[in-house]
Amino acid sequence: MPEDRDWEVYKAPPTRTPVLEKDTSLSNPVHLFQAAFSYVLDRPITFVREWIERQQAKNKFYYYHQQFRRVPDLSECMEGDYLCFFEAEAQWRRDRMVDQEIVAIVRERFGACQQREGPNQFQNCAKEMEQLVQVTKAYQDKYGELGAHGNARTCLMKQKHRMMEERKAQENADQ
Amino acid sequence: MAAMSLLLRAAAAWGARRAVGGAAGGARLRWPSGAARLPGTVAPVRHSSHGKRMFIIKATSFYDSRFLNLLRFYIFLTGIPVAVFITYVNIFIGEAELAEIPEGYVPDYWEYYKHPISRWIARYLLDPPEKNYEKAMALLDVEAKKTELRLMELEARRLMRARGDGPWYHYETPDKNLTDESMKATPDN
Repeated sequence: MPEDRDWEVYKAPPTRTPVLEKDTSLSNPVHLFQAAFSYVLDRPITFVREWIERQQAKNKFYYYHQQFRRVPDLSECMEGDYLCFFEAEAQWRRDRMVDQEIVAIVRERFGACQQREGPNQFQNCAKEMEQLVQVTKAYQDKYGELGAHGNARTCLMKQKHRMMEERKAQENADQ
Repeated sequence: MAAMSLLLRAAAAWGARRAVGGAAGGARLRWPSGAARLPGTVAPVRHSSHGKRMFIIKATSFYDSRFLNLLRFYIFLTGIPVAVFITYVNIFIGEAELAEIPEGYVPDYWEYYKHPISRWIARYLLDPPEKNYEKAMALLDVEAKKTELRLMELEARRLMRARGDGPWYHYETPDKNLTDESMKATPDN
């Protein structure tokens, strides 16, 4: 059953609807619809769901997120040490998956802020926008145009080229 | 219904007699001949629910309906037990909850999955991912050692061929005492 998202994370600010003064003696028909919804839909569904959860609570079991040990990076491997290459490659792939999830979370945060703020988004969401810009720029710099067959080695070569260009730019700036 | 068809036949006979009589008679009331009639009915009857039994000619649906029946049968034969089993597992066993790894506890490799059926498959049918990792590393190790040995062999062969002081690259040459150098004894040949 798909989980609801965590309601505590993106909490909407409390609504500020004013309390209405009632001048008529007619009862509000909205209360009737609310009662109908509650008795016909809400209560039976909640009852079934709680019964199911009581059945499931009898034997609880847990799952964990796997923690991997850090191994030497590709830049720390000796030449011809294929085992070191293999482990460094596996670690690089895990790190890339983690980075993809980080980008997704930051993007989701920005989207939630936009949805929450509505027309005020350009002023109130500046922090989230800045964070998203930085994170996506960093991701693009590191994993950007490696392509579908990108691996740790091509990523390291890309980093090397970036450092060389930085050094060249610095030399040109110094001159 | 039989009574209705009898009535219709009686009405048809009466109508036929009247038509014969009317052709001789002349100006008589006829049935409204412009009224649309079903093929087979002679007189339009207002409350008839069946009409005349028709043999409707259409293409056979025998093969199509047989195919669909068999399809449904074989799909549901295993589909329904599987669906019941999965519903039972989802309702009564339920999915795992996410928890922090307790101090000093190393979870087994199947405890990283959420759904109970995935956990079962990982535990009893599949190998632990550490085993796959180690198998890949073992293969790589063997191949790396083979590469190294082959390169060393090539190097040794090259050096022995070049220097000639190793156990390889000895070729049988004929004995020096067998050569007849009497031709070369005098310089004037």
